[in-house]
Amino acid sequence: MSIFKKFLNFKGIIGITLVLCVVLIAIFAPLIIPPEFATKMDMRARLSPPNMAHWMGTDQLGRDLFYRVMLGARTSINIATSAVLMSLVIGLPLGLVSGYFGGRTDNVLMRLVDTLLSFPALLLALTISAVLGPNLQNTIIAIGIAFTPYLARLIRGEALRVAQMPYVEAARSSGATNSRLIIGHVLPNIMPVVIVQSTISLAFAILAEAGLSFLGLGTQPPEASWGLMIQASRDYLDRAPWTALVPGTAVALTVLGLNMFGDVLRDVLDPRSQS
Amino acid sequence: MSERNKLSSKLDTQVDDPIVSLDHLRVEFETDGGTVVAVNDISFKVFPGETVCLVGESGSGKSVTSLSLMRLVEFGGGKITGGKMLLARDGKKTANLSEVDVDTMRSIRGNEIGMIFQEPMTSLNPVFSIERQLTDGLRLHTNLSASETREKAIELLEEVRIPDPEKRLRQYPHELSGGMRQRVVIAMAMACRPRLLIADEPTTALDVTIQAEILSLINRLKRETGMAVLFITHDMAVVAQMADRVVVMYQGNLIEEGTVNEIFSAPKEEYTKALLAAVPQLGQMAGTSLPSPLNIPGASATVKPTSGDIGIEKKTLLEVKNLVTRFPVYGGIFRRKVANVHAVENVSFTIDRGETMALVGESGCGKSSCGRSILRLVEPESGQIFLDGKNIISLNGTELRSARRDMQMVFQDPYASLNPYMRLREQIAEPLNNFGLAGRSEVDDIVHDILEKVELPTSFLRRFPHELSGGQRQRVAIARAIVVNPSLVITDEAVSALDVSVQAQVLNLMMSLQDELGLSYLFISHDMAVVERVSHKVGVMYLGRLVEVGSRSQIFENPQHEYTRTLMAAVPIADPKKRNISNDMSFKPIPSPVFPVGHTPENPIYEEIEDGHLILRN
Amino acid sequence: MAYFIQRLLSMAVTLFLISIITFTVTNILPGDVAMMIMGTQSNPAALANLRENLGLNDPLVYQYGRWIFGMLTGDWGNSLLFKQPIGPIILQKMTASALIVLLSMTIALTLAVPLGVWSAVYKNRWQDTASSSVSILGVSLPDFFWGIMLILLFARALGWFPSSGFVHPNEDFLMALKHAFLPSLALGLGLMAHLTRMTRATMTGILSQEFIRVARAKGLAEKTVIWQYGLANAIGPVMTVAGLQMGYLFGSIIVMESLFNYTGMGWLTYQALLNRDMPLIQATVFVIAAVVMLVNLIVDLLYPFFDPRIQLK
Repeated sequence: MSIFKKFLNFKGIIGITLVLCVVLIAIFAPLIIPPEFATKMDMRARLSPPNMAHWMGTDQLGRDLFYRVMLGARTSINIATSAVLMSLVIGLPLGLVSGYFGGRTDNVLMRLVDTLLSFPALLLALTISAVLGPNLQNTIIAIGIAFTPYLARLIRGEALRVAQMPYVEAARSSGATNSRLIIGHVLPNIMPVVIVQSTISLAFAILAEAGLSFLGLGTQPPEASWGLMIQASRDYLDRAPWTALVPGTAVALTVLGLNMFGDVLRDVLDPRSQS
Repeated sequence: MSERNKLSSKLDTQVDDPIVSLDHLRVEFETDGGTVVAVNDISFKVFPGETVCLVGESGSGKSVTSLSLMRLVEFGGGKITGGKMLLARDGKKTANLSEVDVDTMRSIRGNEIGMIFQEPMTSLNPVFSIERQLTDGLRLHTNLSASETREKAIELLEEVRIPDPEKRLRQYPHELSGGMRQRVVIAMAMACRPRLLIADEPTTALDVTIQAEILSLINRLKRETGMAVLFITHDMAVVAQMADRVVVMYQGNLIEEGTVNEIFSAPKEEYTKALLAAVPQLGQMAGTSLPSPLNIPGASATVKPTSGDIGIEKKTLLEVKNLVTRFPVYGGIFRRKVANVHAVENVSFTIDRGETMALVGESGCGKSSCGRSILRLVEPESGQIFLDGKNIISLNGTELRSARRDMQMVFQDPYASLNPYMRLREQIAEPLNNFGLAGRSEVDDIVHDILEKVELPTSFLRRFPHELSGGQRQRVAIARAIVVNPSLVITDEAVSALDVSVQAQVLNLMMSLQDELGLSYLFISHDMAVVERVSHKVGVMYLGRLVEVGSRSQIFENPQHEYTRTLMAAVPIADPKKRNISNDMSFKPIPSPVFPVGHTPENPIYEEIEDGHLILRN
Repeated sequence: MAYFIQRLLSMAVTLFLISIITFTVTNILPGDVAMMIMGTQSNPAALANLRENLGLNDPLVYQYGRWIFGMLTGDWGNSLLFKQPIGPIILQKMTASALIVLLSMTIALTLAVPLGVWSAVYKNRWQDTASSSVSILGVSLPDFFWGIMLILLFARALGWFPSSGFVHPNEDFLMALKHAFLPSLALGLGLMAHLTRMTRATMTGILSQEFIRVARAKGLAEKTVIWQYGLANAIGPVMTVAGLQMGYLFGSIIVMESLFNYTGMGWLTYQALLNRDMPLIQATVFVIAAVVMLVNLIVDLLYPFFDPRIQLK
């Protein structure tokens, strides 16, 4: 069965569509929508429910929620992508080398990683963010560091598995150097798992950013991120539940899309899931 | 009717109605790629007290047929779409198993039909005790009291010759060896005295001595209880030993049916003939000294024994002296080394140029570790290895890398030994690039040449491994090994995972390459019949030690060491006239090769009873 | 026995590493405790004096030594925010959080195990699709989003449960449960989604094993095969994952307790972080990591009871 056919099941179509929409919005919304649309305050229309003028209603300062959600996409996606990239940049070489060579270094590294895993990721991210001072850049660093041990652990396990495969031994006995083995044989064979895990990590990073910002220890105003919007809505839940529902749904749809996309990717790429 | 009378008189049993008769059975599977017909049209009968062997290669539908009889095929997504399966029931109306309801089927399973499966290691539930697993069938199908059930369970364990049955009942599966587990599975299947026992490749995953024990056990139980056995296997030698009648299957169809003697001495169909020709038969090579290709009908007519002498003078290529390889076992509170697995213990042998030396033995005997130690894929603890006079052990990393050009390896699992993300061209060219042996322009020519040598079309070069069959993959693995012109190729169970006809082709290829290129092989295998076919010299390994070594004829025609003789006695011979699997075979279990740190085994003492024929005497 | 001793020793090492990580992470902070006590506008001389008194000029190793010695001997210092000894505060808040954590884990497991098994049994059929859709939705909704929805529905619209506050179980157990229920449900639903997916994967693997076929070949009923032969093998892995999810829970309570004004560990950690109450941050982070590790240790120690194969190791 062709790869395309596998993608095109119900889950795949929804996942790809959602991810594509969010990415397109993140890229193009700031180019199309003038920034003042999202920052213009209208005190007479504070907390107004969805209507013709404001499709998704307005927030406590009378700002249009539709535009804010559209423009917030870039911030949220930016943070999530950068954070996952950061944890990949640290975790991939670490896990790869640790799993491939094994031995004492591996023992020490994995002991450290295991210990780090005792710290709830959100707690670690919150602490780092609080310690460094909450802003956009430190949010990325905080989430990136908090995710690294998970990725490193997974990649290490995969590298260990692949390093013991007969094709790696065969290549070694036909004269391949360690670097050739790692780059030419181990890396390509763990890539499917890395790609799948990165996709799912992206979903978690979006959630983490939202959580951090919700607690005021993530992105700071005047940036518009989804988490911040939900935080701002907390005091108006009774009167204006849409102020929470609009950004909340945006987060949920994005994460849902990424998770579904990740699931389908796993079915397509991960050889272990194929019978 | 006359057919059946003839048959029953042959079997010297009274004329009975069949226990089961399959009538135009058809089984389909719904997959993403559409409907797959696993069993197209199968009809045969099983009579009381006889063993019917259902034989075929992978994809023949033999297992699906047996699972259909138990109506277990539905749990794997299969569907019986046609035909009848009539089961004669004691004191009840004959049931058509294709149509019976779930409850009736459940009262038949484990009660009137028992079944045993291939993998003894996973056939038992790891978290339940033996007692629970042995008795729940009894509790379900009989009205015995708790204490009676327990007594019955002990009786059953005794019947399958498990020592210490009361203690075993309290144990869990992981505390038993593979052979013991298969005995428990058989006891479970026998619990309610089924009239038919279905055995689906019950010995495929077992070592040859344990296989012999299990086969003889099944034969004895059949004789004692008068039950019929439907025995599913791919192994013609096992068929020859077990069957009264044989049903040959190919791609979901019945090819040929007959008594075991008819099938083996006068096969009618081409497929059966080809299948039989591809099976090496132990003892077939008596009186010859050189390896000889298998006679595959339809293949190239030039089947001649390999010369073994290709113009180069007889010269030692590989010399292994006192090789020792041990693997540490960590344990205790501080994860210290508490013991060693003595995988290879003081092994010495030589291989000449153009010669095949076989290492045989059962699982865990150290034959694979020995091969990998020579390449230093695992580091030996001590000993010396000379390849063409070069001391492999003393080489540093870079030197070792270049020395490996002369010795290459082919692994067992054709599915795991090729990188799934590389095209064949890259796989075969990689060694050339690693050793810097050829310029960019030459690589293509060399790769083309080598592909021709292993008899694959050059159009394969752009393919990925998953587009190839198992046999084709193994050819690629061989191509990758010989592309750098090595003098020694170590093959670790290289044909074990292949169907018998494919196995024969790959073996013939290896022999013709040896002839053409003057290769030496270290041929590691558990299969005595194959070893007899391909080797000049044979070493028998047991518990890490070489217990007997000599020329092919010395080992096979004059085995001296007790263990070599055991092996020979246990190998089923692919000839129903030479039945060697007799009543209740029982061999000494192989002890553990794990010893505490500091254990020094005594030095081996060999007696040379003939030129080059050495026997371990301590 | 060796197994237990080995695990305990390993725990001691992990605790030591946890303390080092906690101390390191909290000491990369620009500014220090002295500044926090006296404020940024304070007199530099007085600040330097206080630093000297608090030992902040000592090498980090000394400071670490002092801190860990205090932690081990029960002297956890004073919270700058609450002006009280930290030990008793944490003890009290931990009790509050234990209620939520246990309740949400119970909710999650009761729902997830049957759903996951069901999903595995009906793999790739509509039942599986339905349960998978529910769980993927659960994984995708942020916890606080669940929280907000539950507040809107059960607290505001229906008025069945209070939307904020904490009552100690010793005062009024029923009220305590009522206050803990909504945050626990919000956490439990997200957790359930994870555990369902995990149970499904584990059961799928188990159901494809040979011993399941053997059990069927004995004539056992399908419900025995699945709920006894199958599930008995899944308990260990599911418990392990549930243990690992403790980490996730202890992260999520920070958000959830803040949302529900439920004054437990999460709420305390949040206050400490917001106010940069360094001694309190160090203590809460250390305690949470230690508790998470402890729970996993307990799961490890219980494992042999569910899987006889482990005993030997």
